Amino acid sequence: MHKDLVLRGSPIIMSRVLAGLTFLFFLFNATPGWSHRVLIYAWPEGNTIHTESKFVPGGAVRNGEVKVLDNKTDQLLVTGKTDAQGKFSFAIPPQALAQKMDLRIVLEAAMGHKAEWLLKAQNYLPGTGDSKPSAAPAGPSTDSQVAAPSGSSPAPLDRQTLEQIVDQALDRKLAPIMEMLAQSQTHKPSLPEIIGGIGYILGIWGVAAYFKSKRNKVS
Amino acid sequence: MHISEGVLSPPVLLAGAGLAVLGTATGLKKMDYESIPRVAILSSAFFVASLIHVPVGPSSVHLVLNGLLGLLLGWAAIPAILVALFLQALLFQFGGLTVLGVNTVIMALPALMSYYLCRPLVRRKGVVALVGAFTAGASAVLLGALLVGVALVTTGQAFLKAAQLVVLAHIPIMIIEGLVTVFIFVFLQKVKPEVLKGIYA
Repeated sequence: MHKDLVLRGSPIIMSRVLAGLTFLFFLFNATPGWSHRVLIYAWPEGNTIHTESKFVPGGAVRNGEVKVLDNKTDQLLVTGKTDAQGKFSFAIPPQALAQKMDLRIVLEAAMGHKAEWLLKAQNYLPGTGDSKPSAAPAGPSTDSQVAAPSGSSPAPLDRQTLEQIVDQALDRKLAPIMEMLAQSQTHKPSLPEIIGGIGYILGIWGVAAYFKSKRNKVS
Repeated sequence: MHISEGVLSPPVLLAGAGLAVLGTATGLKKMDYESIPRVAILSSAFFVASLIHVPVGPSSVHLVLNGLLGLLLGWAAIPAILVALFLQALLFQFGGLTVLGVNTVIMALPALMSYYLCRPLVRRKGVVALVGAFTAGASAVLLGALLVGVALVTTGQAFLKAAQLVVLAHIPIMIIEGLVTVFIFVFLQKVKPEVLKGIYA
């Protein structure tokens, strides 16, 4: 009798329970602790580095703690917290630019979740391999260069300024692509993998059964 | 409830691994030949349960099923959980190989608890059995969450704060887990009572 009761009443109960649970979620606005893997990725745009943190599967990491360290010396450069979208951006620290540090960006989310992303120096330094970092911002120098040709003959822009202009434009254009590339690292479990996993588990227990059966025969 | 790699200190990792090895050995010893297919199926169920995420509100939830495993398998739940977690770590980088022991203990200790505390209830008839099944599902999630809190204390997080956060976050899933455990129990009783043979033995 009880069994019937549970089985028949279940859809209504379940839908009510789900509604109640949704309410609970909004009430607590809790970090999703049941998500299993946490990821952080970073990409540069001009003088800023953007990071985004995610639970996979799940969603944005809210209020996660982000630490930026020098990969070689573990020196702490920047700390911050992720916003509601799991994003956190910071200006590239001057000492990182000067010493061409590889940046290790560490995310510590709640409940023992932790992730890292290594941003190599050559990926964010302006003008790769250039001996002169962009100490002088491109703005004024281009102005003077652009102003000059308007006077008389069109003097060619000097090499370095041109490079800086191209770098800036490329940074702007490439930032969304960098973000997409970084995002493509987030990998949800696919159906073939899940089915493969089940196969492995059954296989492992099959092997166990084999050894148990051998022992049974011996004894 | 998988703790990521690189969060815990080596002593904690070693302690977790040691406990997991002991538990697995005991589980394998207590497991008889006939129960292996049951262990295999429940091991796969545990493996899949935490991969299927159901969106609820702004977030998503998944089942854990460790209470059910404890109820149905007893000590054999430990090797079942270990195998499932091992493959989750290998295929999906959930948790990791160094934290495998700790994560196994976090999931398997509540399973043992539901075996010892809830199985006597489930053996009885009527509402008591249903309450037992619900308690097994819900309390296993709660205890798992608390164990995560305990493991994190060793990293220097204040226990009360960590535990509070973990437990609060798991209240909805405790309720769902309890209901689903009742569901599966009732379903098995009707359709495949021989699976429950272990309980009444």
